[in-house]
Amino acid sequence: MKKISIYILAAALLSGSGCKDYLEEDTTGLLYGNNVLATQDGLESALTGAYKGLATQWGRGFIHPSANAATLGSDDVTTHPASNKADWREFDQFNPSTTNQRSNAVYNGCYKAIQGSNNVINNFEKTVGDKASIDIIVGEAYFIRAFSYYWLTRFYGNIPLVLAGEYSADLLEIGKSTPEQVYELIVADLKIAETNLPNAKRAPGRPNKGSAKAFLADVYLTMAGWPLKQTDKYDLAAAKAKEVIDNRALYGFQLLPTFAAVFENDPASTGTAEAVFQINGFTSGDSGNSTYGLTTMPGEEGGWDDMFAELNFFNQFPAGPRKDATFRTEFGLSGTKIPWQNSLTKHPYYKKWYIKGDVSNYQASLPSVMMRYAHVLTIYAEAKARGTGGPDAAAYDALNQVRLRGLPAGTKPLAATDGLSAAQFADAVVQERAWEFACERTRWFDLIRLEKVEEANANKSPDDLQPIKPITKANYWFPLPYSDTSLNPNLN
Amino acid sequence: MRKLVSLIFLQLILGQVVFAQNGSVTGKVTDQDNVALPGVNILLSGTSQGTATDGEGNFTINAPGTGSLVFSFIGYESQTVQVSNRSVINVQLRQESRSLSELVVVGYGTQRKTDVTGALSVISTKEFSQQPVTRLDQVLQGRATGVQVTQSNGSPGGDSRIRIRGANSVLGNNDPLYVIDGYIGADYNLLNPSDIASIQILKDAASTSIYGSRGANGVVIITTKKGTKGIKVTYEGQGSVSEVIKKFDLLPAGEFAEIVNARATATGSTPPFTAAQIADYKANGGTDWQDLVYRTGRGQQQQITINGGNEKTTFLVSGNYVKQKGIVENSDFKRYVFRTNLNTQVDKRLTLRFNMSGAFSRNHNTDGGGALIEALQWAPTTPAYGADGQPTFADPIGSVSRSPLDNLYDKSNDISKFNVNAIGGLNYQLPIKGLSLDLQYAVNYLDYKSRYVNGPRVTNKTPNAGLYASDQVTLQNTNSLNYNITLGNHSINAVAVLETQQYTNRNMSATAAGLRFPQLGYDNIGGNSAATVGSGFQKWTLMSLLGRVNYAFKDKYLLTAAIRRDGSSKFSPANRYSVFPSVAVGWRLSEEDFIKDLNVFSNLKLRGSWGLTGSQAINPYATLSTYGTTAVAFNNNSITAGVIQGNAGNMDLKWETTRQTDIGIEMEFLNGRLRLEADYFSKNTKDLLLNVSIPNYAGGGTQTRNIGEIENKGFEFSIGGTPVQGNKFAWETNLNFSTLKNKVLDLGGLPRIGTGTGAGGGMSITNEFMLMPGQPLGSYWGLNYLGTFKPGDADAAALQGRVPGDPRYEDVNGDNAITTDDFKVIGHAFPKVTGGWNNTFTYGGLTLNVFVNGVFGVDKLNYTRAGAMSGSGEARQFLLTEIRDYYREGNEDSDIPAFTKTYQPFTQSSRFLENGSFVRLKNVSLSYNIPSSFLRDKGTIRVFASATNLFTITKYTGPDPESSNVGSSTDTAIGIDRGSYPNAKVYTLGLNLGF
Repeated sequence: MKKISIYILAAALLSGSGCKDYLEEDTTGLLYGNNVLATQDGLESALTGAYKGLATQWGRGFIHPSANAATLGSDDVTTHPASNKADWREFDQFNPSTTNQRSNAVYNGCYKAIQGSNNVINNFEKTVGDKASIDIIVGEAYFIRAFSYYWLTRFYGNIPLVLAGEYSADLLEIGKSTPEQVYELIVADLKIAETNLPNAKRAPGRPNKGSAKAFLADVYLTMAGWPLKQTDKYDLAAAKAKEVIDNRALYGFQLLPTFAAVFENDPASTGTAEAVFQINGFTSGDSGNSTYGLTTMPGEEGGWDDMFAELNFFNQFPAGPRKDATFRTEFGLSGTKIPWQNSLTKHPYYKKWYIKGDVSNYQASLPSVMMRYAHVLTIYAEAKARGTGGPDAAAYDALNQVRLRGLPAGTKPLAATDGLSAAQFADAVVQERAWEFACERTRWFDLIRLEKVEEANANKSPDDLQPIKPITKANYWFPLPYSDTSLNPNLN
Repeated sequence: MRKLVSLIFLQLILGQVVFAQNGSVTGKVTDQDNVALPGVNILLSGTSQGTATDGEGNFTINAPGTGSLVFSFIGYESQTVQVSNRSVINVQLRQESRSLSELVVVGYGTQRKTDVTGALSVISTKEFSQQPVTRLDQVLQGRATGVQVTQSNGSPGGDSRIRIRGANSVLGNNDPLYVIDGYIGADYNLLNPSDIASIQILKDAASTSIYGSRGANGVVIITTKKGTKGIKVTYEGQGSVSEVIKKFDLLPAGEFAEIVNARATATGSTPPFTAAQIADYKANGGTDWQDLVYRTGRGQQQQITINGGNEKTTFLVSGNYVKQKGIVENSDFKRYVFRTNLNTQVDKRLTLRFNMSGAFSRNHNTDGGGALIEALQWAPTTPAYGADGQPTFADPIGSVSRSPLDNLYDKSNDISKFNVNAIGGLNYQLPIKGLSLDLQYAVNYLDYKSRYVNGPRVTNKTPNAGLYASDQVTLQNTNSLNYNITLGNHSINAVAVLETQQYTNRNMSATAAGLRFPQLGYDNIGGNSAATVGSGFQKWTLMSLLGRVNYAFKDKYLLTAAIRRDGSSKFSPANRYSVFPSVAVGWRLSEEDFIKDLNVFSNLKLRGSWGLTGSQAINPYATLSTYGTTAVAFNNNSITAGVIQGNAGNMDLKWETTRQTDIGIEMEFLNGRLRLEADYFSKNTKDLLLNVSIPNYAGGGTQTRNIGEIENKGFEFSIGGTPVQGNKFAWETNLNFSTLKNKVLDLGGLPRIGTGTGAGGGMSITNEFMLMPGQPLGSYWGLNYLGTFKPGDADAAALQGRVPGDPRYEDVNGDNAITTDDFKVIGHAFPKVTGGWNNTFTYGGLTLNVFVNGVFGVDKLNYTRAGAMSGSGEARQFLLTEIRDYYREGNEDSDIPAFTKTYQPFTQSSRFLENGSFVRLKNVSLSYNIPSSFLRDKGTIRVFASATNLFTITKYTGPDPESSNVGSSTDTAIGIDRGSYPNAKVYTLGLNLGF
């Protein structure tokens, strides 16, 4: 009996008194710490994560119509006057709130992409792997960071400039940087991307050397206008755009022969050669692209009536194959068609964002094209016109390529002999951009850099939504999101 | 020491001598009315030898002719009877003044209720045995002070929220700790209520500090039944029907169409309905979506218990089956529970026990949501089915989202749990008087699976499916030494324990989108290109040392001191260990002569306690910054896997600690006919673990930090008694209520922290709840709705770009713009007072039980109504009859906004915040015991009928004030109702057979 009790006591003491390791945290299965980026695969994975900020359906970035909503202040697009479109109307009426979920998705997404690319940029030197491959990864990271800051500073003006890839408490007190400081970083980053990136895209959804040059040209063009007004940048913009135009074959860029081909929107195709940089969508998890389909379709077709054409913009739009491919003017997926004048919202809609076959779905495996080769041509034309020496033959040629594709066959090309001044030529390019890139998140930024937001909105049809109060320069930038200003008083 | 050894030796010899002279004694134990008492404990005085009476009250025991037997039974006065060489001894036990010698389980031991110094509630099986309960939460609701039970999900098998003395933790789930037969962290959902022998609820720190870092939210200790000698079989069967308590008032189709036209005209759009269509709707009606979504639910419960054994070994085997079809179409729940409890006495020192239970449950579509939201957003003018016999695919007028019918039938959401819990233990009386060793090992295995498929219709042609499976294994080892001794006026009970627990979770998941074969659902997702897989591993360990001493002097002055030291793997080494002490004192005034002389009290006790408890309200690995996995498309037909930074870690994390003080008084008058118990408590939680938002520019997400302080204070009061105790008729009643005042004291210097999940459908534009010093948890954050702008307010309206008839919100900062800067605290989601009133009337074999519960001082944000009344978010129109009163010319008094182009609604406002207080007739049940004479004493038959949620008094406009869904997992964000699954009225019939 006593023996049993001794055994039991001994067992009790032994069983409970585990070794010291008992309380050591077992991190099997966790990804953490610096070693994650120590290998080339790890670095590549982190880069992929950086792209996620730009490509999270509804939540972050650009594969949903958030950026379209945020640029509604231009004169090409409007939204439903009632219904459930308060978030959209706030932009069209120049009254965006600090909690607007549309602009916040762009803000949050760009900063998530910046965090991810910072992480790659700050750690790649310790990565073991093939140098050539690592250079490309790093080049893409610089490109993503520049792209993200470019969107942020154009939307918000003064913003926190974060270069850290990891959270630390001092980030809670960071102040705002001026657009000048932000653009300095953007230009520097794009220059590195230009050096590091290969001539051919690694995949349709990635940038190449040409993408970096094209964005640099676009950035210079913007820097030359409001708010920096560094007009010397027009020459740099023209030169950079010219490099892309001259090497378009090397980079695989092309102006497609017809405008309709650009917006065929066939989910079975991986994109077109006109895309300078695109963010891909694929209907899996949160990677489907919701910029297409229901968001742009009328209620008559089961659509959401999110965005459609402003009346005067549509009426003044020059007829031709481009107008036909841009607008949908009769509604109905089968049987009777209702002309837009008799529809519920009494507006024409944008065919550009219809999925091929008029598929009634809220998402598709289609890319968000963030810049087309047509942009590059018009950047060159405008920058050359506003820069030293005025428009040259190449500028006329660039503008004509875009213009003639959109207009009826047989339209006469513009020529130096038409007698346009340099300023008039530049304005013609800006107008051409309005038609060419209607509802493509371009017009808003043109109006801002050229300080024409007030002018464009004064031309609105009385049947479209009007600004709630007179537009001032204060309306050129959105207020920083409440989610962040409430955490860091230095942002107020 | 030598003395002690020789004493033990003597004891051993004496024991053997006693055995040598044994003779067999038999007899029968009855009560005052000569009714046999089964399960009475009989102990041979001075030994650990004992037995219990069988189902007929008979017993047999070996006892020396010179010995004495001690008969004891809960609720009866113990009796010591000298054997005096008799072989037959019949004993009549007297019912004692209620509960004085009741034993209560206090965690790692038991104590006489009279000696308890802490605040604890006991729920006896008697209180619920006649009601159709299927789960523990239904037992706890309203029956114990300080315990709030909210059946927030009324679906079959839906979760309840249980809080003991409020919520201390912002981050943790604030659920009490459940201890079943010594296994810590058990899942009460998988417990068969018929297996419960007793429930004790530990509330104050003196009681809960023995559970240290997991005791802060209170502890519910459940002991399951043991077998008894003989053999007894009990069967119980129940069937029930249920229906929705209340529906929303929806506009008829014709009137709806007129209102839609009026709005279109007013905002410059084309009216969608023609006069002929409207006339047709008026003549023939439209679609009543609520009717299509709700149905009459049905349920059944089958239950069998076989219970038996001999003097040495007893067993209990039970099985329970529950099947319920909910009141929402295509939602149901099934559960099977089996249990075996074995106890055996190997010899006079050693007893062994083995309890094992196995349970399987399956929930199908019990999450409410979709269909219940869309039923209030789809237009009544839209037909339910198209010409092809399929549900209508899109609503051209109302909701932009999918049909209520597709939400019901084109998706499946299934959760299954398979749980096995095995507990083996031994208890050994050491050869030192009063000292015993107890070893217990427990293994808990949970196989959790959730599976979903969303078909092509409900996803708008992108069907998807997924599975998640996790294997969760918990191992527990508890080694305790117990010492009990009474020396003269001093009695001491002490326990020392070494305990370890280890939890591992291995999980995997697979999802596929764009299903090529949607008809295969989640059962074969491999054939789809867009598939993702994942797996994970989590582990935590806890190692604890604890001890407690109970000391009583003359049974009058009581002292309890306890301490526990916990070490947890969740923290970095510097913060790994923490100590949780407590002390409590009690004074049984009724044992003092000056009180006895008053001849008023049959029991009077004062008690007070102080102690610390903790909460490890964080997941493992919160100290580390980790990456999550993600996937990005770089082309149109595949995704590339990547890693993305998750939440920022914090190496400095430590335990959240709650300091609690409690003062209580217990009184009994008239020999127990009237009982009063009152407690005041104050809980203060510091080093609060909080998920603090990180700005999006710094990566977003949250970081867990120890900041801040929260306080909970309250009174608990219960009064019970037997107002009528006649020969045939008796009335027993118990009323209890509790108050609770919760306040955030400090947030580590931050002025406020927003919480909440952001309800979908455009309902919320920022966090719905705000933590602010001076305000309670669950403070709603929103705009103050002032009604509509009136004709005289045109100028004020114009300053905001609005016109008369538009909604007017309080412009708190006066900047003529309604923004989040104008948000403020508009209400509170925690009830201030909760209570319950339980009555049992008996007349002969008839028993009537009436149970009322109430919740007072609580607000609910009714987003279901907001969806149907804002004309925004997913719903484009107004659907409730209250829109009839909208603001228009001649009706400018209305606060329901006009139809204008400048209309901008904010659903996150006081307009949709409603009073959620209610009083509810929770249960009425009538049962009848067929007289035993009728059955020639061969068994018992009881029949019963019962109604649950029969009657509710409330101002809340939704179907059920008790249900809520959005963000209900933490207590910082509770009380939002957006298509929550409502509780039902349930009518049950049942039969209970025993033989």
